Amino acid sequence: MLWLGWYLSGRLVDLHNSLPPAAADEFSLWTSLLFFVGWVTLPVVIFPLDEGLDPAQMGVFSVPRRRLLAGLAAASLIGPSAVVPIMAIVANLSLRTPLVTIFGLAAGAVYLALLAVTAQLFTASISAILRSRRGRDLAVFLIVGIGLFSFGAYQTLSARVEAVGLEDALMANSLAGIAPLLFPVTPQRAVLAASNGQWVQAFAFLVLAVAWIGVLASLWGRLLGWMLVTPDRSPRPDRNRRKKGLADSGPWNPRAVLARKELRFFVRDPRMRLVWTGTVIFVGLAIAVLVVGTESMSEIRDSYWLPLLAPAMVLFVGLPIALNQFGWERNAASYLFVLPVKTRHLLYGKNLAIAAGLLLETAFLAVLLAIISRSWEVIHIVPALAVSAIGCQLAVGNVVSVITPLRLPREGTDVFSQATEQGFLAMAAQLASFFVIGLLLVPPAVAVVLTVDFGRVVSPWVTTAICIGWGLLLYGISLWVGGAILKRRVPEVVGWVQVK
Amino acid sequence: MTSPLADAAQSNGQSPPPAVWAKGLTRRFGKQTAVDAIDLAIQPGEFYGLLGQNGAGKTTTIKMIVGLLRPNQGTAGIGDFDTWRQPLEVKKRIGVLPEEFNLYERLTGAELLDFTAAMHGLSRDDASSRREELLALLDLEDAAGKLVGDYSRGMRKKVALAAAIIHRPPVLFLDEPFEGVDPVSARLIQDLLRRYTAQGATIVFSSHEMYLVERLCTRLGIMQRGQMVIEATPQELCTQMGVESVEDAFIVAVGRELTSEGLAWFDGSSGSRPV
Repeated sequence: MLWLGWYLSGRLVDLHNSLPPAAADEFSLWTSLLFFVGWVTLPVVIFPLDEGLDPAQMGVFSVPRRRLLAGLAAASLIGPSAVVPIMAIVANLSLRTPLVTIFGLAAGAVYLALLAVTAQLFTASISAILRSRRGRDLAVFLIVGIGLFSFGAYQTLSARVEAVGLEDALMANSLAGIAPLLFPVTPQRAVLAASNGQWVQAFAFLVLAVAWIGVLASLWGRLLGWMLVTPDRSPRPDRNRRKKGLADSGPWNPRAVLARKELRFFVRDPRMRLVWTGTVIFVGLAIAVLVVGTESMSEIRDSYWLPLLAPAMVLFVGLPIALNQFGWERNAASYLFVLPVKTRHLLYGKNLAIAAGLLLETAFLAVLLAIISRSWEVIHIVPALAVSAIGCQLAVGNVVSVITPLRLPREGTDVFSQATEQGFLAMAAQLASFFVIGLLLVPPAVAVVLTVDFGRVVSPWVTTAICIGWGLLLYGISLWVGGAILKRRVPEVVGWVQVK
Repeated sequence: MTSPLADAAQSNGQSPPPAVWAKGLTRRFGKQTAVDAIDLAIQPGEFYGLLGQNGAGKTTTIKMIVGLLRPNQGTAGIGDFDTWRQPLEVKKRIGVLPEEFNLYERLTGAELLDFTAAMHGLSRDDASSRREELLALLDLEDAAGKLVGDYSRGMRKKVALAAAIIHRPPVLFLDEPFEGVDPVSARLIQDLLRRYTAQGATIVFSSHEMYLVERLCTRLGIMQRGQMVIEATPQELCTQMGVESVEDAFIVAVGRELTSEGLAWFDGSSGSRPV
């Protein structure tokens, strides 16, 4: 965080100094805005909400509401991430005259308070959504939305700057005029007014910023008050969503039923949905890059081999599931492992579900990439390559899953929270396994390359046979080995994946 | 119904093996010994109450018997089968009521029962008909299509119990089965379990509800600090301790005196008043 703060502050000062005064002022306003938005939203997306500061838990104590709000706001500034905006403020002050710097210190404090209160209001709003299970399900779309919005905003800003230059872009999109309404930039506007000697205006902006704090704190207090007295909303008790059981239709044997259970889990668990929609986000970003990208991107876009990337992209999607098949069971592992199912069948059932999901995503992605590249020349190789890739992934995944399962947070917590105590060894094993999958994919990859390029010396039929044979061979070995290891390690796996 | 374990033993002309047994079962967590060389021999048809204060080692013992926790020493099993040598054979013969949050919360009640039935190798028709009967008996018909995660605490207990018995196992392990269950369902379940043991099934029952223990159990084992301190029928226990009820006998057996001395600030005897 120190490095990040130092780097960003340095870049801020360099860019500011390279601009004419009017553009430099606009630049500082834009920087103030972007810091603000990033600092408020990123922690919610990346880091878990601090359960120790959960207002619902604190509401039972007889702490006056105003003192509770002030304490929570101050607590949000205690953390490494606060270093970044503080260093940015210090860098900003270093650009001003001594008298303005003193005024700027007060404006900086107001900016930090504004940050803290807005962050708490944002977090409380998210918590209000996440407190019900239905809300937590919807939270998946929140992260997708924030990701896509950020990417879109970045693309728009960079395209604009590239087209007309930073100075013209800043002057054409001035924030100074709307600063009174745009509260994240109000304190910085006060500093700029002071720099220009407009002290009355400077103090007016500072008072306005303080008023904004009052408004936001009031909103936050009302929201918190509502949350403390309103029970969590659950689906209506009379709601009968799915009357049919697993026995009413579909394949009926332990492996198939286990796979069907997993598939339901993929669809119904918000974390799983987040993993599986990773492809959709990935594709969205990839298409955006290909469409709005540079000349070199257009070369890739027009490549006939583009659909062959689909199995590789899907590898990334399947990784967190394939390498931690029992971690996703969480506490239900103790339910699963008292059932009389052979360990090989357990793995096979889970593998069936994962493979089905990955094949579906590969098909979707391959067709999409073929449409983008307007080339269907190599599409017939994709199914065999996908079998090979999924086979290699499951081969490594089966062994890693039973040797180093990772503990995930309890189901019902918000989708962004992370489990603790995962252990360095387990994390290292997960990382190393990705490289092993890559190595295992070398033979089928070579066969595919020799089929679509380098004089096309290998027949597609031979490549198909090599890919499928290699994938199935490795998978078969791993099923046998993984099943044997799991048979001896059931208590250890259960003990490790359960959330206390 | 007779117990399959007893049937098998009788056909061999031997006395039936204990339905549930443990020999020198020990489990340590670091320096703390949670279960200390427990020996158990629970006969077919017994309704066995495993009692103890919080942290006495009851759940740890059950986990080791069903194969979810590896003992440091000793072994355990069901009938002729050793949990750690023939785990599949043991798991075919047991039903376990898990802690409430260990269920599949993203399956509906109906799906959870079907899943469990399939894993136990029941036919599709058997699974479907037993599911419907159990859901009706436990008053869960209207909630069959709801996710288990949306169930109340009592409903979770009921669906977990249904899942534990859907394959008609000869041995049942029940950890606080009546917690949060409404009185009508609780009475139904009690009658069902009594009929079940009368037909030769064995139940290992862990609960802090002493009136239920007194009403249901045919034999009790009281654990304290990881050791089995007393094994007796409820009547023998009361006689030994010279008290009227199992609850009083339990308190005497674990050597606790009921006193709230030292909380003078709380009961007002020190002159302090509530805020």
